[in-house]
This record gives sequence, C-alpha cells and structure tokens, in this order.
Amino acid sequence: MTSAAALSAPVAAGPLPPATPLAVTAVGAVSAAGIGLEALGRAVAEGIAGHADPAGLSEESLPPRPVRVVPDLPVAELIGRKGTRHLDRTTKLALIACRLTLDTYPGRAGERSGVVLGTSTGSIRSSSEFSMETLRQERPYLVNPSLFPNTVMNCAAGQIAIRHGLHGVNATIAGGHLSGVQSLKYARNALRQGHADRILVGGVEEFCAQSAWGWHLSGALGVDVPVGEGAAMLMVEQEPTASDAGRPVLARILACETGYGPPGRLADALASVVTAALERCGRRPEEVGAVSYGATGLTGLERIEDRAVRAALGGRSPGRDVRVKESVGECFGADGVLQIAGLLGAWRYTAAPAGELALVTAVARDGNVGCAVLEAGALA
Amino acid sequence: MSERGARRVVVTGLGAVSSAGIGADEFTASIRAGRRTTSPVRSFDPSGFPHVHAGEVHDFEPRRWLERIDPAHWGRSGQFAASAARLAVQDAGLAAEDLARTRAGSVMGTTSGESAVIEELVGAWAADGLKALPPDVVGSVPAGRIAAAVNSELGLTGEALTLATACSASNYALGYAFDMVADGDAEYMLAGGADSLNRWAHAGFYRLGALAEEVCRPFDADRSGILTAEGGVALLLEPYERAVARGARIYAEVLGYSVNCDAEHMVHPDPTSIAACIRAAHRSAGVEPSQIDYICAHGTGTRTNDATEVAAVREVFGDRLPPISSIKSMIGHTMGAASGFGALICCRALYDGFLPPTAGVERTDPDLGPGVDPIPGRARTARPRIVENHGFAFGGNNAITILGRVA
Repeated sequence: MTSAAALSAPVAAGPLPPATPLAVTAVGAVSAAGIGLEALGRAVAEGIAGHADPAGLSEESLPPRPVRVVPDLPVAELIGRKGTRHLDRTTKLALIACRLTLDTYPGRAGERSGVVLGTSTGSIRSSSEFSMETLRQERPYLVNPSLFPNTVMNCAAGQIAIRHGLHGVNATIAGGHLSGVQSLKYARNALRQGHADRILVGGVEEFCAQSAWGWHLSGALGVDVPVGEGAAMLMVEQEPTASDAGRPVLARILACETGYGPPGRLADALASVVTAALERCGRRPEEVGAVSYGATGLTGLERIEDRAVRAALGGRSPGRDVRVKESVGECFGADGVLQIAGLLGAWRYTAAPAGELALVTAVARDGNVGCAVLEAGALA
Repeated sequence: MSERGARRVVVTGLGAVSSAGIGADEFTASIRAGRRTTSPVRSFDPSGFPHVHAGEVHDFEPRRWLERIDPAHWGRSGQFAASAARLAVQDAGLAAEDLARTRAGSVMGTTSGESAVIEELVGAWAADGLKALPPDVVGSVPAGRIAAAVNSELGLTGEALTLATACSASNYALGYAFDMVADGDAEYMLAGGADSLNRWAHAGFYRLGALAEEVCRPFDADRSGILTAEGGVALLLEPYERAVARGARIYAEVLGYSVNCDAEHMVHPDPTSIAACIRAAHRSAGVEPSQIDYICAHGTGTRTNDATEVAAVREVFGDRLPPISSIKSMIGHTMGAASGFGALICCRALYDGFLPPTAGVERTDPDLGPGVDPIPGRARTARPRIVENHGFAFGGNNAITILGRVA
C-alpha cells in the first residue's frame, strides 16, 4: 500500500463512450386499458381510464381507493391450456405480454434470444401467501411445494425462456420504478457482449390486496391515484441486426442512462441524467418532442420529475406529454416499459411522424433516477 | 460477436457479512480452516420445523458497520449489502468521498430480496389483517432497495442495480460490473449480493426434500441436501491501470464471464447448458480448460446438483477435472449472495495462495465418477493462477465468472 495521498487521488472520469442505438422491432402490452398495444395507445392518446372493477381478483378486502386491473386474462388463448395451473398472476401477465410481442415480431425468436424482465419484488402476493401458510398450517412446512417457484423473483423470466426456448441471457431486474430504463441499459450491454442476438425487455406487476394495501397505507401514492397492474414487452436488437434482416424498426432507443441522487437532490440528479442521455446520443434538448413520465401520481416525486425535465429542456415544454398511469394506474415494476409501450402506442394512434424524439423518465424515492431517449420509427 | 471492453478490470476490495464472520479476513480464515458456521436458526421461530439448521448471521449489529444510512429505514438484506460494500471500500484503501466524486455505482444480486421485511409484514397481516400493515415498514419491501442501500451508504451517484436472478445473481452482478468498468461506463463498481433467512424458503426447500438436517456435505456419498443461509458480499472493481497507479492491493483480475439459460425446467439444472456456459466463459476470458486451476462449485449439497455440475464439468474438461470444492459446506447456501462469496474466496485463493476446501466430505460419492477432488477438510496450499466460479439458479439461469492472478 502506498501513501494516503496517492490512495485518495480523485479520479477524473472521461467522457462516456458513445451509446449503441437499439432497435425496437416488436411490442406487446397488457393492462387495464386492454389487451394489445392498440388499446393502450388509444387510452393514452385519448385519456381514457382503464378497467376499474377488481371483482373476483382478491379474497382479501381491498383498501378504499380506485384501482385499474385487467378484467379477464386470456390465459387459454395466449398461453395455452397446458401447465398453467400453478402459474401466478405475475407470470401469466408476463407470458401474455411476451406472446403478444412475439406475435407481432416479424423474425423468429429462439435459442439466441434472451429475456430481461423488470419487477419490483416479484409476485408479492405469491411470496407473502406462501409465507402466511407457514404460520397458518398445523406444521410450518405444510406448504404446497408446487407454489414455491412463484415466490422466487425470476420465476416469470424463467417461464418465458422455457415456453419459447430462449437460451440467451435471462435476467430479472428488481428496479421498481426504474425497471424500464435499467432493463434497457442491462439489455444494451448484454447485446453488445453477445449474450443474445435479440432480447425481450419487459416489465410486470400484478394487482393484489397486499400491494394495494401497501400503497394505500404508505402514503407514497396520491389518495385518488389508482393502483394498477400490467405487463409490457419490447423486442430489442442491435440496429444493424434488425435492418440487415429487413425488419421494420418501430422505434430506436438512442440512450438509456441511470444515476443516483441523495435525498433533496433528486431533481438535480434526474436533470443531469436527462442531459447525459441526450449528450450521449448527440441530441439537443430543443429536439425533444415528447416526454413519457414515470412519476405520475407519486407523492412528492411527480413535481420533482416535472421540475427536472423542464430544467433539462431549458424551460420549454415538449409538444407531447404521455402519462400512461392516468390510464393504467400505478404499475410499479411494469411502469417503465408501459411508459415506452404507451408512447409507442400513442405515436401509432396519432400517426406521429418518424423521427419524433422522446424522453422516458423515472425517479424513485430512494434515489434512483433514469432516462431513456427514443426516436419514433416506422410505426404506421 | 462480443466486443471486449478496452480496459482490464481488477478486484481491489472485498467485504463480507456472513455466518463465517464479518470482513474478508475473518471470512477467509474461517473457510481456510474448514470451519462449519451453520447453526440452529434464531432470526425466526423454527419450532415445528424438523430441520432447524441454517447459516445465520447471529447478532448482526448494522450500526457497527454502517456510517451513513439509518438501519431502521432499510431491510436486513440491504443492511448486509451496504455493510459489505462499506467494508470492501475500506479494504481497498479508498475514501468513500472519492468514490462519490466520480462515476461509481453498485450492482447487487438477490434471490428473495427483503424477505425478512416481507415476513414481518406477513406477521402483521396474520395478527390483524392487511389494513394493519405498518406503513413505515412497507417502504422497505422492494428488492431494489438492496443496491440502493449500497449507494446511499457510500454516497455513490452512479447506477444502483439489483439483479434478481436468484442463486446465480451475484455472478450476474460481477459480470455486469466488469463490463461497466471495462467499457468506461463506470470508474468503480461494487458488485455482490445479499439475502436474508426466511421461513418461506426454509419451508419450501424442506417440502421439496432438499433441506439437510444438520450438515451440508456436497460431493459426499452421504449428503442429504442444502442448508439455507444469509449474508452480504461485495467486491470493489476498478481499472487495472488505476489500481496500479494508486498502489492498490490487487486481489485478482476479472478475466471474463458468461450467462445463459437452460430454458428446460424451473428447478432441474441441465448439464449440457451448463457446459455451454462454461465454454462461453472460457472464450470470454480467452483461456483453455487446461488453464483452469480450481473450480469454486455451485455445490449446493443435493445429489442432483452434484451429478449435474460434475457431468457438465466433465463434458468440458474431459478426464482432467480441476479440483472442485463447495464453500456451501461451511456457510450454507446464501442464495443471491452465494456466487459472490464464491468470487470473494476465489480472489483470496488467488492472492493468498490456497484452494478452498469442502468441509464434511468423508467419502467422495463414487457415482460422480473418477477424478473428483473436492479438497476435503481444510484448505490446501497452492498457487492457482486462473479459477472458475460457478453460479446456477432456479429458472435455469447459469452464470460463470473467471478470475486470474495478476502477476
């Protein structure tokens, strides 16, 4: 070991390496707005609230607050009838979003494909109910072993791989509100390193009494803000792979940057990742035509996000505001990819011109901040 | 196909919070001695369970290790991760303020996230219903709080990423951190993992018939399963050139890694897929099988794992199997932290010159075939140059890292 002076020499960080653009070549979504991207796009563009009746979803009583849920999961049609008995709602939502995505993908998934799936805590219903059984049964071990896999957070990603034979990287990102941008950043690196040729990047969150009460009691969500659920997925590949194969590029992901700010400095931290994301893909703030917001409805954070975006864009408002949660409710681990799917759906619904530039932002109370930069492609 | 980053990446700091001690030195001494540190569970009431042994971190006092964050606001897994990260930074001879001034972040793996927090809430639910959930505890539930605890404790402004790829998650984390530093996305990364003991996993593994009564003995003919465990582990990664320039102690170089997915079955691992992962890790590191001096096994202690893991290794290495041992024989299965503890002991093995043992092996299972050397009993003095660290997970998520001694 050398002297303390040498050890504490500050490190000058060089400029970030240029980001490799990614192509989105398919997208699927399931939410309270309905099944499929079209339903989500219409709801977001027209400001339509999604399905709000939780009847049949919970044996436990629910808190007195609005909800947004998917009324009937088309399990038999989109997942099949085999081997679905023990799947929990989180896994079913993820499998449905995956099926919808693959159905619109013009190529073939398969061996060299991967999965990067965002979550908050897996299925909080599955883990807490399984834990509850250890208290309620005569013996603590008299749990149902076929439900044990559902308590593990990577259950849904593993099921997707099994059902579609995807042998590439299979990662579960516990990013909560940051899941979207963190999953994209993880996937960008995995593609760059050759861990897969194409990756399904998704996010999932199920509605359940446990999380509804959690949101209700914690005060983290505005009192009138609905608790929601859903899943969304993007097929993401390196741009040359997609264009060489002649696959239409629905959108380009130009940058995805993440950071962390101390309490009280969240707006600064978010503004600086927005700026870094734009710089990294060589775009200027005045080119931004749309923002898809992540903190809608979150106590305290909504204003921080607005302030940070305005600061990073030099005070001007972009033309298009996308607030997907106004339609689908608070979807936590699914929010980030739903923000992107909602943006793409709205672009398609309004026949937005190719080239429109959008920010997708996220901020969490603990300090995580993130921003992705997307460019509209051939959505028509 | 893959683009290897421009910078060499080394490990210069290690931190551990485990049943085998707190701090990398205590941990390493315990492992080298072949000491078994599993014991009866105290962190939850194990009455009614026929098997009550686990690798618990007894009497953990987070305030002794944490300088910035208030443990009351963070779950047990986050406390483990942040404590291990704090220890790793100290071990690297760095000041946290210097890390905070540059692009530094963390990536932490986990299986069950803040499971102890969830079980506290389940207790409230059982007693008084969901409406009685304590609001201040609810905020500590999200698994992403694990890496967030690290960044908050150290004041880091880079990414705080929690990877929930179950029992190979720390190797996933190490691989990702390696890429971030190699490519210049980050100047320093803390990589590791954390998990907490919980009733539901204890019950689940027992019900699957996978839980050992008292002793976990991987590779032994009389093994009877795993022991659940907990802890936190962190490795500090930085570019080789800076480590040299600042005169840092370099434990090891991260040479490469690979991740893949069996995509066959949620709980039964697949030897062919694992063999493919090993080969890809070798390619990534630019090494041949003959150069691997030691394998830190996933080695859970179940018959299925041993048979699968040895078959996969045999497929790649042929008749010349490197010595292969499992530290789970001493500390149990720390789940999302497991391959992080494996990486930590690999670093110390390379730096200090030893091969970690498998405790409790009396008779190596003959069904595993010839040439299996589990390094029974105590550590063996050796000078390994390149080692391989295995992590396999539920869901068929395999991740393998390759570490080398820096001459």
